[in-house]
Amino acid sequence: MDNSQQPILDAIDPEITGRLVSRRDALRRGASAGTRLAAAGLALASVPAALAALSREAFAQTPADVLDVLKFAFILENLENEFYRAVLGTSAVAAQNNAFAPVRALIPDAAKQALQQIQKHEQQHVDFLKAVIPQFGGAVVTITANDFDFTGGNGSGTGPFARATTELDFLLLATQAFEDTGVRAYKGQAGRLLINGNDAADVALESALRIHSVEARHAAKIRRIRRQRNPSDTTLRFSGYVRGGGAAAAGAGNITNPPAEVVAALNLIYGGATPESNTQHVVFNGTSAVTIDAAALGGLGVIDAGDRTAAVTQAFDEPLTKDEVISIVKGFIKDDPARGLP
Amino acid sequence: MAMREPERGEPMVIAGAGELMFPSTRRSFVRRLLAGGTVVLLPSVFSACSDDDDSILGPGDIPDPVTGIAFDLRSDVGIFRLLHLNEQLEAAFYTAVVSSGTFSSFSADEQELFVDLRNTEVVHREFVRTALGSQALPDVRGSIDLTVLNGILASRTSIIAASRLFEHVGVAALNGAGKYLQDARNLLVAGKFASVEARHAAALRDVLPPAGQNANTAFAGDDIIDANGRDVKLEAGAVLAKVASTGLLMAGTLANPPITAGPTATQGVPTPDFFPANP
Repeated sequence: MDNSQQPILDAIDPEITGRLVSRRDALRRGASAGTRLAAAGLALASVPAALAALSREAFAQTPADVLDVLKFAFILENLENEFYRAVLGTSAVAAQNNAFAPVRALIPDAAKQALQQIQKHEQQHVDFLKAVIPQFGGAVVTITANDFDFTGGNGSGTGPFARATTELDFLLLATQAFEDTGVRAYKGQAGRLLINGNDAADVALESALRIHSVEARHAAKIRRIRRQRNPSDTTLRFSGYVRGGGAAAAGAGNITNPPAEVVAALNLIYGGATPESNTQHVVFNGTSAVTIDAAALGGLGVIDAGDRTAAVTQAFDEPLTKDEVISIVKGFIKDDPARGLP
Repeated sequence: MAMREPERGEPMVIAGAGELMFPSTRRSFVRRLLAGGTVVLLPSVFSACSDDDDSILGPGDIPDPVTGIAFDLRSDVGIFRLLHLNEQLEAAFYTAVVSSGTFSSFSADEQELFVDLRNTEVVHREFVRTALGSQALPDVRGSIDLTVLNGILASRTSIIAASRLFEHVGVAALNGAGKYLQDARNLLVAGKFASVEARHAAALRDVLPPAGQNANTAFAGDDIIDANGRDVKLEAGAVLAKVASTGLLMAGTLANPPITAGPTATQGVPTPDFFPANP
């Protein structure tokens, strides 16, 4: 039996791409692509291929998009890294270490080892991005722990997440929220790294995907730790999945009287234009774009009827847009537009 | 139930020197089973099948084995077909795990984990099949070697080890294939799958780390995360080699070679693989 596939269809339907994919102005990017490529110091041989791809696909990205994504990721990775360093008492800023001293004393050794492993990865991500950004012609800004307010107070030090410095369950909730935000942020930006025919962009894309899945591992581990501390909260899955969307997907049932601002933040973190509860996914099969509703799939008979709604949301992690991510993290970062800090 | 003769899958293949990627514990286990002449097909494994139309691999009739599955990776469709193979195998495997006698000996926490895994992979399988439409792979459940499958299902340890391998191959395949996709919407869907697979992979290593790994850090251990903080990654050819190494697919299910055309230079260029012997 021959199962080799039929001839490839790779025609692009501009009407569909224009309608279904929210992209920025292709003309602007097309006009500047050549100069940006040159500025990025990429091999000249890649320019014609990249331009050919641009002409073929109206929604293609440019190296400027890649650089913007890398710089954005650099800020987020610094935020995560400095957060863990403060929690673990290894920040270069004594005040950050001191702030988390009460909760640090409450962290069991097993969880501490997990947090140390996670922090190590965040540092590696920071270092990796620091090395890659110049390859795309970008300047790396200096970011320190002083740039962050882990209470979410935008510099006041008394923001809605302040309880993370004294309550272990609150700290773990905040940690999970950071990690799931990271997963969703990378997922939302991956498409901006897709430049057909640009090998440098491919390397950036692949690295971003590989970092993205590491963030998902972190989130899953934190969810498992939290479930073990609160066995009755089945929103927190032993599989590490995100079930449903909005604040309910955070599994915050063991936080007494969560501040309204925290609930609002969790609604953003697990909500957004494409919330974690989304079941509608668009695929492009070469000739047309099709929206598939996972909730309407056949062939799910082996899944208990009562579990199907949960199954079709947990099976897909969803993206956040850049603007959505900024609205989530803004309170944790002291504003400095000159250095690109939101 | 629609059970076939176990001889069909040529179980000696699993002991072949070229098939070393699978944990040696399971190889020796299978060997011991064979040597002892006690290849009992674990009646307990099938006890959950309540009617004759269902098998351990899922509801409905199991189709005949298929042969000669080939992949042309010069399009997003071709890459999604590779994804479809992985999702079919994962869904069938976890369906069998949850139906197995061994499953009843799992802790409640582990049972929840594996039911979640099964449910997610079944959703993934049906989603990809629907997305591919007429270009979907055939149902490969009939090509699964029941002797090898039952060897894995015989113990918690071998089930979790095999699950870790599946999930890490799944993560590595998606991480390696993303750069070849040509449409951002398809890349987004692949990303939606990838982080879910990574959550599984981390949870499984947390439940039972590979030998020598610290139980508290194994979820993202130094053996699966490189010095740049990046996860496992495999090119498509290596993905298929890992799949073949499990012995779960009968010989001939995949064409030889299984990839008739790799990605074009415009899609992207291969990068070095990163994957441990025992994830």
